[in-house]
Parts: sequence; structure tokens; C-alpha cells
Amino acid sequence: MARKEQRAAYLFLSPWLIGLVAFWLIPIIGSLLLSFSEWNIIGDPEWVGLDNYRDMIDDRTFWVSIRVTLKYLLLSVPLYIGAGLLLSLVLNLKIRGINVFRTILFLPAVLSGVAVAVLWVALLNPDVGALNELLRSLGIDDPPRWLDSPTWAVPSVVLVGMWGIGGGAIIYLAGLQNISAQLYEAALLDGAGPWQRFRYVTLPMITPTLLFVLLTSLIEAFQVFDIAYVLSRGGTQGIGDSLQFYLINLWNEAFVNGEYGYASALAWVLVLAAAAVILVIFRTSGRWVYYEYDPERER
Amino acid sequence: MAEITLRGVTKVFADRTEAVHSLDLDVPDGKLVVLVGPSGCGKTTVLRMIAGLEDLTDGTIAIGDRVVTEVPPGDRDIAMVFQNYALYPHMTVRQNMALSLKIRKLKKEEIRRRVRDAADVLHLQEFLDKRPRELSGGQRQRVAMGRAIVREPQAFLMDEPLSNLDAKLRVQMRAEILRIQRDLEVTTVYVTHDQTEAMTLGDLVVVLRKGELQQVGSPQELYERPANLFVGGFIGSPAMNVVEATVTRQDGGTFVMFAGHRLRVPPEVLDARPGLAASDKPVILGIRPEDMEDAALVSESTPDSRISVPIDLREGMGSDIFLHFSIDAPPVITEDIRELASDIGDKAIEELDEQATERRSTLVARVGPESRASVGKHCEIHVDMRRLYFFDPATGRAIGDREAAPVPAAGALAD
Amino acid sequence: MKTLEKTPTTGAPPREIPQRSAARYRVRRIAYKVVMYAILLGLTAIILLPVSWALTAALKPDLAPVFTPTPEWFPTEYWEWGNFRLVLTEVMPFLRYMINTMIIVTASILGVLISCSLVGFAFGRLRFRGSKVLFYVLIVTMLIPWQALIVPQFLLFVELGWYGTYLPLIVPSFTGVAFFIFLIRQYMRTIPRDLDDAARVDGLNTWQIFWRIILPLSTPVLTVCAVFTFLWRWNDLLGPLIYLDDGSKFTVALGLANLVTRADTPWNLTMAANLVTVIPTVLVYFFVQKKLIGGIASVGLKG
Repeated sequence: MARKEQRAAYLFLSPWLIGLVAFWLIPIIGSLLLSFSEWNIIGDPEWVGLDNYRDMIDDRTFWVSIRVTLKYLLLSVPLYIGAGLLLSLVLNLKIRGINVFRTILFLPAVLSGVAVAVLWVALLNPDVGALNELLRSLGIDDPPRWLDSPTWAVPSVVLVGMWGIGGGAIIYLAGLQNISAQLYEAALLDGAGPWQRFRYVTLPMITPTLLFVLLTSLIEAFQVFDIAYVLSRGGTQGIGDSLQFYLINLWNEAFVNGEYGYASALAWVLVLAAAAVILVIFRTSGRWVYYEYDPERER
Repeated sequence: MAEITLRGVTKVFADRTEAVHSLDLDVPDGKLVVLVGPSGCGKTTVLRMIAGLEDLTDGTIAIGDRVVTEVPPGDRDIAMVFQNYALYPHMTVRQNMALSLKIRKLKKEEIRRRVRDAADVLHLQEFLDKRPRELSGGQRQRVAMGRAIVREPQAFLMDEPLSNLDAKLRVQMRAEILRIQRDLEVTTVYVTHDQTEAMTLGDLVVVLRKGELQQVGSPQELYERPANLFVGGFIGSPAMNVVEATVTRQDGGTFVMFAGHRLRVPPEVLDARPGLAASDKPVILGIRPEDMEDAALVSESTPDSRISVPIDLREGMGSDIFLHFSIDAPPVITEDIRELASDIGDKAIEELDEQATERRSTLVARVGPESRASVGKHCEIHVDMRRLYFFDPATGRAIGDREAAPVPAAGALAD
Repeated sequence: MKTLEKTPTTGAPPREIPQRSAARYRVRRIAYKVVMYAILLGLTAIILLPVSWALTAALKPDLAPVFTPTPEWFPTEYWEWGNFRLVLTEVMPFLRYMINTMIIVTASILGVLISCSLVGFAFGRLRFRGSKVLFYVLIVTMLIPWQALIVPQFLLFVELGWYGTYLPLIVPSFTGVAFFIFLIRQYMRTIPRDLDDAARVDGLNTWQIFWRIILPLSTPVLTVCAVFTFLWRWNDLLGPLIYLDDGSKFTVALGLANLVTRADTPWNLTMAANLVTVIPTVLVYFFVQKKLIGGIASVGLKG
């Protein structure tokens, strides 16, 4: 009986196992090897040891891409976490019509990065775009030049991301709705006002969700591509370096310059960096994350 | 002064269900009043309205001499013990108890004192720095009480605080709660569905059913003088036996007849119930199991106070024996009875329906352990005729000296 | 405030609290509601106005300026619905792009449903040696970001001769997606074991249990996976960007990106194209939004 189940199990698993080897294991190994080689498809890969990594250190664009990605990360992650939470609190209110608001506010999250970016490229046009016209009409004579400006380029991307904050709010919403109503009632009777209820009930109970959002927004920050590609017109035009996100640089090196070995090395650096960050966060999370304790399931 | 007053309190939920219907109630200062009734009767809704956790559709609530109907819960100066305790999971016991005081900006010294005193009363001293998840159910329950005590509120509200505990712990905690309430003399409103709990704890017991007040009175009053069939069947365990009967004058006396049996109603019982005066009056007769005995064990039994019945089932409990016997009459099925049965469970309703088709009812008598009654044989059951209950078959109301209108008998408290 | 009438047995009538303080609470509640609605309406405007601007722009004929000194948020003057037709077939082949994308999306959904349900079933319902180890492997694959794989996968697909076709975008779906496998596993684990046992006693083999019992019961999680796959594949830019070079095979994401990356973007048509290509996702969204938002909560986060 058990042997039959064993055989059946592996049959069921076979598609995944095949894919695991073909599309995952082999490429991973290949990628690792490539990172130590130089290859541009023509001819054979040439082993160069650690040269790729050494070149990275000297590569100006590499450091630019790190700076850009880091700047984006530091701006977007706190904003995303904070604004998402605030929005979810508002969306959690039990007032009439709240479902309509939730539907509308969540809408941008299903749109593609390209669609959103295309829309905002137009709106963010520094001279004639709707946003700057609006700002000028409000009395701001010299509004930022958004994608044209080295200082404001990355914040533009953050701004566009904020437009889709509804997506993050939904995650919090699920977490909020898991908080037992009785805790709030107890707090009410203890005399807690809205801020105190937030501080003593909502915030502690939502820390697991916070952790989740922190991790996902960090990972997302490392993986910015679509929006950057469109907003920077393919990473080539006009604004030069200011939108040179890490992945854009990687894509350039691989598919424009044909440096597959170098690009692989870049990919591994990214993976290692992301892994390190995630590990650190996980390790320190024990201190501030309060895990599931459901008083209603209490016996 | 912390009496609680409800006038015309009504609650209709968004889906049009009317949970509470124009309730008038007075909770005297310093007393423990229990709201009891089957699930869905509205007792928890009433409690939550007193707490301010539910809005009133109509009516007013006052605590002390302050009308609090529109006042938010935090400002009503009341404390509540929740069924699931609602302890802040990430705080220690000490912090849980201190939070409300911290919010009200009491002095640190005062907070410390109150927490310490409450911990002493509840024997929580060794748990003060633990978190709720490290505590057992009973300990958490005490922390919930501690949180209420430190507030020194005008009233305690308790929402079935013991229902999540096992039976033994429940009995223990019941005594604790009683002791604390007596010591602190704080007005307490206590909600439970367990009538035993209601009877043991309450200075006053309020029986609710489908949002309507059935009766208010001391436990003894409810037991001895139930206002209607519902209260009669709800209070007392095992439940009161009920049969359809007729009261007639015969042979120079008044008798109550049912299913071929005949019992003489003593004059003092008649005198107290002017409503029984008419002849050939159909009634519903109620006899509690504990008011019956094996006639062989009773010295002054007369034929007029005995019925001879075949025994279907004999349950020996050690200190008593329960005899189940049947009579040739269909069971009484009024709305009250149905609701009492559905509160017990589907099985009880099935049994009722079965009996109805067979036109036989099963009654229960509680007899002494020396009884020799056995299954299959007939037994003479003696009925304590002074303890008969009579109800109007049309309305379910008790036929008694007070016209059994369910107005809050602002209780003669049997202390 | 109603005056309280007390029954004679309980003493003096209660003092009412002053009218002012009772009213204060009511005013506070109303003010609070007003502020909240204002915030929500403001946010809604921020979401909807850009979309409305896009519509306005899309409806402008070529001669009208898309960018005006005072931004036009609503279509008032121009109603060139013909722009949409132009964008779909005449001036730009967006209809073609949408069909292409549909092909990829449908095939991907098929692949995901087939492969992930099979594998998820194995992890979720079957007991076999090595299940723990393989599950950890699954988790690891979920965590490794795909960036590590784009280059070597590209080279692999080139070697296989799949460059320029849809295959690199479709075939991997047929070998399972770790995240979906995880979701399905979690969901299937909540189905009572008794069903399996009863089925075995009835003589069903493993495949039949999967096909006739577990799979039909898993429709909620499968719907979630299908919807996610739809959105992910419809919106995917990087994949088509890497593998497609033949204009006639382009997807909507690619077509749209190209419109913007060239020097002389026709903004009105671009906005029209944008709106058109967004419609399917919005439709799917509205269709499943109630289920989806509930589904994420119950399927995803409890895990």
C-alpha cells in the first residue's frame, strides 16, 4: 500500500521535478559557472575566475545602480509600510459603502507596471504634464522636473508606486480583520482612545503582517524593472544614470552588451545581498514581532 | 450610588431581528443580578448595551443617577469580564491590569497599590510578570477579573465568564466570584445560560426569553412561584414535569385529573389561587421531580395524593433514584416547551415529537435510594400536593395569587 | 433626552446629565465620520483622476493637444472613439498584441492549473519518503529570486532553439510554480482525511481520489492561482522583452513599452492603447474581487 502511494506520489511530482532540474538546477549551476566566465554567445565561454567580480568594483555603472536601488529602497520601504498601514486602517472602518472604496483603491494593484508607468510618464512630464500644471496652479512656480531631474527621478518612481498602495493595504486588511474584536472592546472599556487602541491592540497584533510587508517590499525594491524601464525609456534616453536600477543595469549588460558572464556575476551579487538582508531581518524579528495568539481559540 | 436602571430598552439589529424588546429593569446597588435564559434570548445583548458596546434602538440606561445611553463605554465607569477574557496577549499580567489605570493617568504609586491588592485577592501574586499564554484557563479568568477589580468601578459586568472552564474549576470560581462580590459590594450584572449558576450566584435572577423579560425575583421566588411555564420549566433540574389536566369539583372536594389519574388539591393551595375557582377548568399541571416520592417510603400518604404508574426506566445515582414513567396523555407542546427543548438540543425536540405521535408522555420522579421500584412493574408515586404548579394552557402564565404578569417584581430579596 | 420614570420601589428619579455633554458625544461621532469620508473621497479622486485624464487624452484626435496648460481631467470637447479602433488594428496592431497575450496567458493558466494541482496534491495529501526534504527544496526555490536565473535560462532556451517563440514563456508553467504549489498544498491539507479513507475503502485509486474528490473541492484555491497567473502573465514585461523579437508576436506589455520608448510618442493613441489593454485585467478584477480579497486572507496568510 505504502509503496503504491510512494510511486503515485513521485508520478504526481514528476512535472515539478523535471522543471526543477531543467529550469532551475541546471540554470543555477550554469549561472554560478558563468559568473566566473566571460561569454557572449559567439564561441565558447572563457574562464576568468574572479575577474568579473573584480571588474564590478571598478565599474562605475555598477555603483550607480547600487546607489539608485538603495535610494529607492530607503525611500519606498518605510513609505510603503507606513502608508499601507494607514490606508488599511481607513479601509477597515465599518462605514457604509466601504466596499466600494476598497474596490476602487485596490484597482491600481492589478494594472501592469507598464500600464501604470506609461500613464505616469505622461502625467509627470515636467513641462506640460498634468501634475506639474496642477502644482503651478497651486502657486508652486518651480515644480520638480521629475524624471528629468537627477534628484527627483527616483522619488518619481516611489510616487508612482504610492499610487498603487492599495495593494499593500489589502494585506494589512487581512491581518486587521484577524484581530479579535473583544480585545478592542476590552480596550474601550479600559478607557483607551483611538490612538491608544492603535498602540496597545492594533500595532502589537499586526506585527506578523508588518514583517511580511517589510520583507516583500524589500524584495520588491531589489527587483524594480518594469516601471524603471518604461520611465527611463529603456534605460538609455535622456536622464542617463538617475534611473539606473540594479536590474536595469543587469539587463543592459546581458541583453544589450552581451556580457553574459558579467551579468551572471551581477545576479549573484544581488542574490547574496538580498539573502543577507532577509536573514538579518528574520533574526532580529523575534524581538518585535508578536506571533499568533488567538484569545478566541482559548480553552 | 451605583444602581443600574433600564427603561424601555430595545435593540433591533441591522437585519431586522429584534433582540431585546422594551426591557425595564432595576439592578439594586451592590447586588449581584444574573441575566439568564436560553441562547438567543438577548441577555448578552442587554449586557453589551449596559456596557456601551451596542447602541440602543430605543430606551434609556442609567448608572447611578447618570443617564449613560449616549456615553461611550470608556466613560461609563464600569468594568467588564469577557467570556474569552480578552487579555492583551503581548502584555504581562501586571501590565494587563494596570493599563486602564495608566490611561486614566493615575499615580504610579496608586496603580501599584491597586494591582497588588487585586493580585492578593485573586491569588495572582506569582503570575504578575507572566504573559497570558503561559497561564491556564482558570488563571486567565482570574486575571480578567483582576483587570476589572483594579478599576474600582461603579459596576461589574460579566459575560459568561465561567463557561470556558471545566466543571470543577467552574464551581470553584463561582464561589470566588461570590466572595469577591460580597466583599467589594459592587453592583454586578452577570450573564449566563446555566440556570444552576444563576440560582447559586444571584441575589436577583432575571429570566429572559426572545428579548422579553419573563420574571425577576430571588432564586427562591423563581423556584417556588414561577410566573409562567417557561420559567417553571427553565429553573430547576431535572425540569418540571408538565401535563394537561382538568380541575373539577367532585365528591365534595377539588381534584385535578389527568390521563386517568386523580389527585386531590388541598384547600390551602386552592385558597392561594383564586384563578382555579371555576369548575372543569383545563390547566397545565406542573410537578417537580423532587416533589414526588415512592409512596412506600412516605408515611402519611393518602390515596388522593398517589398515582400508580408503570416504571420505564430507573436511574440510580447513589443519593437518589430517578424513575421515568409514562402516562396516557400526549406531551404538552406549547411554544415555551418547544423553546426549552430546542435549548437542550435536537434530540429533545425529536423525543417530544415522537411522544406526541404516540400520545404518551414520560415523566420523571426523584425518589429516595431505598425505593424498591423496578422497571416493568407498577409503582405508587406519592405527590407532595402542597407543591403543585398550575398554568393557564392558553397563555402559559401561572395561575396564582399574583396575576402572574411578568412585571419586574422589584424583588423581595430573600437574604 | 427622555426623562426616566422609575417604579416607586426604587427611589428618587435619576438626575439627567446636562444636555450639552450628551450632545458633545454625538457631535464627535458625526465629525469623525465626516473626516473619514473626506479622506476616502480624496484618495478615490487621486486614483480615478489620472485614469480619467488618460481617457480624456485617448479621446482626442491627433490635431488636438494632449497636454494643455490646464489639465483636462474629463472628456468634454473631444470624443474620438475611433482612436480605439485605430489602436487596435489600423495604426497599431494592438488587437494582434492582445490575441498574442491571450494565447500566452491561457496556456500559462492551463499549465499552472495542471502542474501545480498535481504537485500540490502530492505534497498536501500523499505520504511518501522524502516529502520533508522536497518540501524544503520547494521553499528554497520560492526564496531564490528569479534574477539569478534570467541569464542562464535565456542561454538554455537559446540553445534549445526556443528564442523568438512563446515557449520560454509557457513551458515553465507546466512544470509548476513554487508559490502556487505552496498555496495549493496548504489548502488541500485542510480537507478532512476521512474523505480519502472513505474513497480508498470504496476502491478508488490515488488518481481517482485526486481527480474526482480533492480537485473539485479545491476550486477556491485553484481560482486564486488562475487569477494570479492571469494578472502576472498579462502584465509581464521582462519575459517578452527578452525572448520576443518578431513584432507580430509582441504582447501588450511589450507593445506599450515600445510606444513610449520611441522618440515621437503619439500620446492620445498611447493612452487609448493603454486603456484598451488594461480592460481585461480590470474585468477579471471586478469579476473575482469579492472572492479574491476573501481568498487571499483565508488561503494565503493563515499558512
